[in-house]
Amino acid sequence: MKKKILAVILVLGMLMALLAACGRKGGETPPAVKERTTANEITIGIAQDLDSLDPHLAVAAGTKEVMFNVFEGLVKPTSDGNLVPAVASNVSVEDGGLTYVFTLRQGVKFHNGKTVEMQDVLYSVRRCAGLLEDGAEPLVPALAVIADIQGEGDTLTITLSEPNLEFLAYMTLAILPADYDQQATAPVGTGPFKFVSRAAQDNVVLERFDDYWGTPAKLQKVTFKIIEDESGLVRGLQSGALDLVSHMTYTQISQLDKNDFHVEEGSMNLVQALYLNNSVKPFDDVRVRQALCYAIDKQGIIDMAFDGYGIPLGTSMFPSFGKYYDDSLTDYYPHDVAKAKELLAQAGYPNGFEMTITVPSNYQPHVDTAQVIVEQLKETGITATIIPVEWDTWLSDVYGKSEFQSTITGLTSDNMTARKLLERFNTQAGNNFTKYNNPKYDELFAQAVAATDDAAQTAIYRQMERHLTENAANVYIQDMADLVAVRNGVKGLTFYPLYVLDVSTLYWDK
Amino acid sequence: MKYALKRILMLVLTMVIVSFLTFLAFELISGDPAEAKLGTEATPERLAALRHEMGLDRPFPVRYVSWLAGFVSGDLGTSYNYDMPVWELIAPKLEVTLCLCLLSFVLITAVSIPLAIWSYRWTGTAFDAVRTAFNQLCMAVPPFFTGILMSYFFGIVMRLFIPGDFPDLRTDFGEAVTHLFFAAICLGIPRAAMTVRMMRSTVIGEMQKAYVRTAISRGNDRRGVLTRHVLKNSLTSAVTFLGQTMAELIGGSVVVEQVFGIPGLGRLLVYSISNRDYPVVETLVVILAFWVVLAGTLADLINQRIDPRLRLGGAV
Repeated sequence: MKKKILAVILVLGMLMALLAACGRKGGETPPAVKERTTANEITIGIAQDLDSLDPHLAVAAGTKEVMFNVFEGLVKPTSDGNLVPAVASNVSVEDGGLTYVFTLRQGVKFHNGKTVEMQDVLYSVRRCAGLLEDGAEPLVPALAVIADIQGEGDTLTITLSEPNLEFLAYMTLAILPADYDQQATAPVGTGPFKFVSRAAQDNVVLERFDDYWGTPAKLQKVTFKIIEDESGLVRGLQSGALDLVSHMTYTQISQLDKNDFHVEEGSMNLVQALYLNNSVKPFDDVRVRQALCYAIDKQGIIDMAFDGYGIPLGTSMFPSFGKYYDDSLTDYYPHDVAKAKELLAQAGYPNGFEMTITVPSNYQPHVDTAQVIVEQLKETGITATIIPVEWDTWLSDVYGKSEFQSTITGLTSDNMTARKLLERFNTQAGNNFTKYNNPKYDELFAQAVAATDDAAQTAIYRQMERHLTENAANVYIQDMADLVAVRNGVKGLTFYPLYVLDVSTLYWDK
Repeated sequence: MKYALKRILMLVLTMVIVSFLTFLAFELISGDPAEAKLGTEATPERLAALRHEMGLDRPFPVRYVSWLAGFVSGDLGTSYNYDMPVWELIAPKLEVTLCLCLLSFVLITAVSIPLAIWSYRWTGTAFDAVRTAFNQLCMAVPPFFTGILMSYFFGIVMRLFIPGDFPDLRTDFGEAVTHLFFAAICLGIPRAAMTVRMMRSTVIGEMQKAYVRTAISRGNDRRGVLTRHVLKNSLTSAVTFLGQTMAELIGGSVVVEQVFGIPGLGRLLVYSISNRDYPVVETLVVILAFWVVLAGTLADLINQRIDPRLRLGGAV
């Protein structure tokens, strides 16, 4: 009797396995990859879920990367780093950057079918500038410079309290409908794709917006699939569930079959550095900071932890910023252990010292970098200890309260201004988490902001970069490589100098 | 009746204590939802404004009591990160995780009990050593590793399911269950191996007892004694152990969900903790506490059915 039960249970178990096996294709040969319903769709793997879908409140770079396809501003960035009119059809800068006049494009539609009107534009700009209600904080601090906004007919005039050449870059802020309060759950914009749905921790679905004013997107539907697990992304590609994944590591890429995938290499557009707390000992001494710069071999880090992919940097600026980038600063501190020891001795640390490196543990590239740095510093007699912390703790303690000695992170810019990258080392800056404090730098920054001539401004920004390098504000490492795995047949991937993924240019080519 | 009342009271108490401890833990670790939400764009002014908006500037006890009051009245709050009602957010994930855990539980039970009896038969033979080694291996290999192997073999090579493409449980039930089936195996292997080992040693222990000798001396064969008496006597500890298993599966599901790309409670919990999304974490923690206590209670009730000596207050 009992034996029978046992047999039944075993048979049942086997049957379940068999059912599972046949469930998919009923005995046919399994398909090579997941069959696509149409060639008009693509599925893209992303490693993290989005934060707020409201573009004015979204903070995470990963969110902006996806929602770039849904929203547009009066102007929008192009892949070569310029700004072109979008919701506005024409822009003119008057009075040396004091007044900006925009002409609204006719017949631009929101995804909900309504036409963009002046009130929507006024609402969007005012909301970001904190002008909707009295005493509100601007969502974008740089917009505090707005003195007056006037909208008449289809002409929008923004007057600033002081001339500002970079103001236009901030007008990429998303234009949203004024009388719509579902932005955080069902966002509506004017971009080439409209938001369809989102499942937390699972996916985000976008569809082509057929009433788009500009060049229509080529694909009909784009699904962003959220897979946090590193090997999960690789298996997703192998199984056919995913067609494209950005920000991959060399190890992940090497697991893919060359017959199915090709790799496109761009750069992440960020400044990865060992950021130093300039207000604590021993990093308040410029000699110690310089010693670290000599002691750390950035090419060594790139070779060891990134398989040689990555562009070494020497200051808070990366190459895709074109005219602002000064390549001569990259090798300002060659790898030189003797020199590092000498500087340490001068600073009163002949036998080195102990330091901590706080690293957000969810970013494996930064953790890997930290490990290489620890080894490299041993040569100079510096004992570094890694403190792995959770991202939110990092935000709070390191970024918010500057309670750290050194940390590794990558700082990005969400618009094409040098200011965004350089402002944070100004004493007054609210986000100066490195506590860099140098009157000379503050003075340069004030000059740069007040400049009314683009060439002069660029020159000052380059001086600021040189200043950061010479004073070894931080130990600059690299602009990390962005390796994108693309299924063969998918074409049209374009890299931007910003952290965005433009899916409107993607298409299938058989 | 008295027993049921006691159980329910304990359940409620556990849930209250757990939710309080969770709140307290969030109070002690650094970072808060406002900081998580503003990220690198936080300024002291915006932080203050957002904290006020989220009600985080109220003292800790006030916040806890207001959350508790909301919870009791059925208002679970709104997720800070997803801007949607917590229940709407959790419900689909709960279905997936429940499915995964139940599937895994059924597999563990169906496989481990027959396997334990079968393995008892081999005691003392040469094969026993191999079996023990294999059992140890199953217990030791972590699910994330078997998960990677399994999704590679069954997913990429055999193409029985599509790793990275978990179908919607409500519309594509069959495919979703296939996907969950492999995850469930992977989740269940270590626990099943433990159950086999525990069950086997219980059976061995029982077999050495006096009543077995008596039964055999009265002319019963060993197999008959095993199935008729020993198994029944061993069952209570198995049920207790399986109760614990049920409680632990939900913890193990966190890892397996990651590896198989299954959008379940585990992933949501981890994500919400790192974003300090209190309303979501609180509700999840209460659900988990409920699950654990429920598993224990069920095991107790079943054991009382099997073994009258365990019945409290009732007729023996």
